[in-house]
Amino acid sequence: MKRSKRFEILDERPVHQDGFIKEWPEAGLIAMEGPEDPRPSVKIENGKIVELDGKKREDFDMLDQFIADHTLDIDIIEDVMAQDSRELAHKIVDVNVSRDAVKRLGLGMTPAKVVEVVGHMNVVEMMFAVQKMRARKTPSNQCHVTNVKDHPALLAADAAEAAMRGFDELETTVGIVRYAASNAISIMVGGQTGRGGVLTQCAVEEAMELEMGMRGFTAYAETVSVYGTEQVFVDGDDTPWSKSFLASGYASRGLKMRYTSGTGSEAEMGFADGKSMLYLEARCLYMTKGAGVQGIQNGSISCVGVPGAVPSGVRAMLAENLIAMLLDLECASGNDQTFTHSRTRRTARMLMQFLPGTDFIFSGYSAVPNYDNMFAGSTHDVDDYDDYLTLQRDLKVNGGLVPVEEEDVIKIRNKGAKALQAVFKELGMPDITDEEVEAATYAHGSKDMPDRDVREDFRGIEDMLNRGTTGVAIVQALEKNGFEDVAENFFNLLKQRIAGDYLHTSAIFDENFHCISAVNDQNDYAGPGTGYRVPDELWEELKDIRFARDPEDIGE
Amino acid sequence: MDKELVESIVRDVLGNLENQGSSAPQKSGNGLTAKDYPMGEKSKDKVKTPSGHTLDDIEFKKIISGETSGSELRITAETLNHQAEIARSVDREQFAKNLERAAELTKVGDERILEIYNALRPYRSTKQDMLDIADELENEYGAVINAEFIREAAHVYEKRKRLKGDR
Amino acid sequence: MQLNEDAIRQIVVDVLSGMSDQGSNSETKSYSPDRSGNMVLRETGRASEGRDNDEVVIAIGPAFGNKLSKTMIDVSHSEILREIMAGIEEEGIKARIVKNYITADVGFMGHQAAKISGSGIGIGLQSKGTILIHQKDLNPLANLELFPQAPLVDLATYRQIGKNAARYAKGENPEPVTTKNDQMARPKYQAISAVLYNKEVKYLDADKKVVEVEVSFK
Repeated sequence: MKRSKRFEILDERPVHQDGFIKEWPEAGLIAMEGPEDPRPSVKIENGKIVELDGKKREDFDMLDQFIADHTLDIDIIEDVMAQDSRELAHKIVDVNVSRDAVKRLGLGMTPAKVVEVVGHMNVVEMMFAVQKMRARKTPSNQCHVTNVKDHPALLAADAAEAAMRGFDELETTVGIVRYAASNAISIMVGGQTGRGGVLTQCAVEEAMELEMGMRGFTAYAETVSVYGTEQVFVDGDDTPWSKSFLASGYASRGLKMRYTSGTGSEAEMGFADGKSMLYLEARCLYMTKGAGVQGIQNGSISCVGVPGAVPSGVRAMLAENLIAMLLDLECASGNDQTFTHSRTRRTARMLMQFLPGTDFIFSGYSAVPNYDNMFAGSTHDVDDYDDYLTLQRDLKVNGGLVPVEEEDVIKIRNKGAKALQAVFKELGMPDITDEEVEAATYAHGSKDMPDRDVREDFRGIEDMLNRGTTGVAIVQALEKNGFEDVAENFFNLLKQRIAGDYLHTSAIFDENFHCISAVNDQNDYAGPGTGYRVPDELWEELKDIRFARDPEDIGE
Repeated sequence: MDKELVESIVRDVLGNLENQGSSAPQKSGNGLTAKDYPMGEKSKDKVKTPSGHTLDDIEFKKIISGETSGSELRITAETLNHQAEIARSVDREQFAKNLERAAELTKVGDERILEIYNALRPYRSTKQDMLDIADELENEYGAVINAEFIREAAHVYEKRKRLKGDR
Repeated sequence: MQLNEDAIRQIVVDVLSGMSDQGSNSETKSYSPDRSGNMVLRETGRASEGRDNDEVVIAIGPAFGNKLSKTMIDVSHSEILREIMAGIEEEGIKARIVKNYITADVGFMGHQAAKISGSGIGIGLQSKGTILIHQKDLNPLANLELFPQAPLVDLATYRQIGKNAARYAKGENPEPVTTKNDQMARPKYQAISAVLYNKEVKYLDADKKVVEVEVSFK
């Protein structure tokens, strides 16, 4: 065939690099409305659920049983299940039905029912529902701070900048597992340099993640994954009971935590049981609720390429955020891992959460260049900061970032790296040299950084851990080396464990360590003029992007 | 509410009281609600460290000098139960229960928490191993809710063939 | 395990196209003359625990090499196994191959391999190309080195991974193999990877457990 020039150009567009596939329902490669998804049903006998979504109690798998016995509210379930799904969808988007009233319906629906209900909604209705149903009134944002070299000085500098730019949570992970403790300490020190009260976490294997929290190297945890089929749950080396125990373990140390789930993981792990991605995700969310965990990170997350490749996949990601909110869970709503080569697609996908606002719009905006993002990239990275600030300004939306000055960023990056240099010295870790501090201060990413002696670093980290080092030693190291303000922030963050206020749903801290959560900042959206509005003071800041010209200066 | 349910609640409560003994933290009864939150600001008097100090006693200077130990930077069972009450006041029953399970675990050492967690992972334990852990939690730490929870897990693991040797 | 007609047809097509591919890009490797040509796998019964501490066990996925023949970027399984084995042997360590029919999860396969390896070091290798190095004393989901972005692992890297596994087996502490990171691998390959993995797990067979595999190249 002679090629059309127009088609030739279309074929070269970035969207053609994306790996789209057609639906394969038997393998669970279908986003919503799977042909094998169960019909909603529930039966109660003697105060116990004996049938759930078409399955008899004796046939329950681990998830069915956990959801039946720990999540669903048997006092209301028969009543709610009897209501027409379309009517329930109406209530969810009706401004005259309060958030509280809708919230109560959540535990009266089975996973199959809630999937049927949101299946009646288009994305605009879902966005509207998210605006009304998210737990915390004030929206917020989370970022990733990682780099290919696991370079501590760069991590500290990037964390400091990210905190200054307005992220309330910072998440790191590792290129090489043995760097975990070093990375956790680096972003905690950097984060508390940038702004006191920023929460930090390090995503690694579950038991190791808990240990770092206990030591005081992290402030909360998120990489506690749950899955929607029993086989995949077990392949993830856990059960609903082990994961629940882990959740209580965190709370018993005064540490905030949320679970992670997301569409596509079951299909990716090979055991979707022929069910749609959204139905399986709903099971995850009901399990999460039953475990008594305050929140979830979802919106596909690490398997985003899977729903992203099938029809209605991006809609399913928004739907899963919404189901979390219907269950009154904190929702860190995805937008983290790269799912497309197309700038158009990634922005469209992000607007689903950016416009209505969520507890954390991104569960990982890349606060490093994407080549350094060890979560395999994010939808948006440092090079998009000015575009993102402009979107906030264009639409009068608080997306969680504020404009900053170059000079201030350079200063804070330098201070973060220097503070960590001092900590490393005191903890007996391999030196961070002045050259490394300087490079980290002005770096775009790890390409601008010298290499570390990896084996020396491992030795230093192991020794430090073997000595039983905890967060208190870091506080002391900072203070001893003249970083009193950072030390005090670090100390205050550790001190928060005593009162446990930030265990609650959707909790974050402001710069005075005042805890803001869905207890004292409950979403009260009830139509135009209610709920969250950008405060005047913040709006003045958001308007003031550094590249807008002052009319007074033009032509004069 | 039916009569059986009420009876079973009463039995549970009494059972808990017996198991807790005299030094156990008082559960509920403080009438805490969202108005008392954040506790670190609004109900400081009810927040104590493991050795009974107040929040204000925990000062930066004392941590630097070593006068106050790092082990003081921990939540107590009592505080967790207070927070559970606040959670219930905003209609978060399951979350409140998690905090109550957590309250029981405050006494269990870090190492042991990690060990028990690993023992609850699939294929790690026999049914008897799990029942022994439940007994240990109940008898040594008064952790009755956790004990019950792990016994429930043992039965489910048996039914679903997720015990040691099942693979 | 259920197999529908379409899936079988697809697999046959995959296997056949894999075979013909191997003909066209069969550049011979000089280091190992007896390993040119196509790999033939022969299962010789239940895998046993190794007693020699000079071995590394490679656990391959249930479909590797016979039911499926190439990774998500169409690299042949023959080439990959050849390189890993060469990497191990270069360090004076033996490579023993087992096939895991219980799980196709790369972490569990690697851990299982490590547990039956005389040196305590194992490698997990899936049909889609994902590979890791494991050690028996670690948690199943931990690892010594993991290469999650299979499309970025080239043959030289597979060989290097074999080499490093052997060095761990000798009790050394090698510099980890450089991990490549391309954030665009996910959008390009993730769904394809899911399709391949779903094909692999169809061949799981709990009754067969883990079997010893004799590898020859013809």
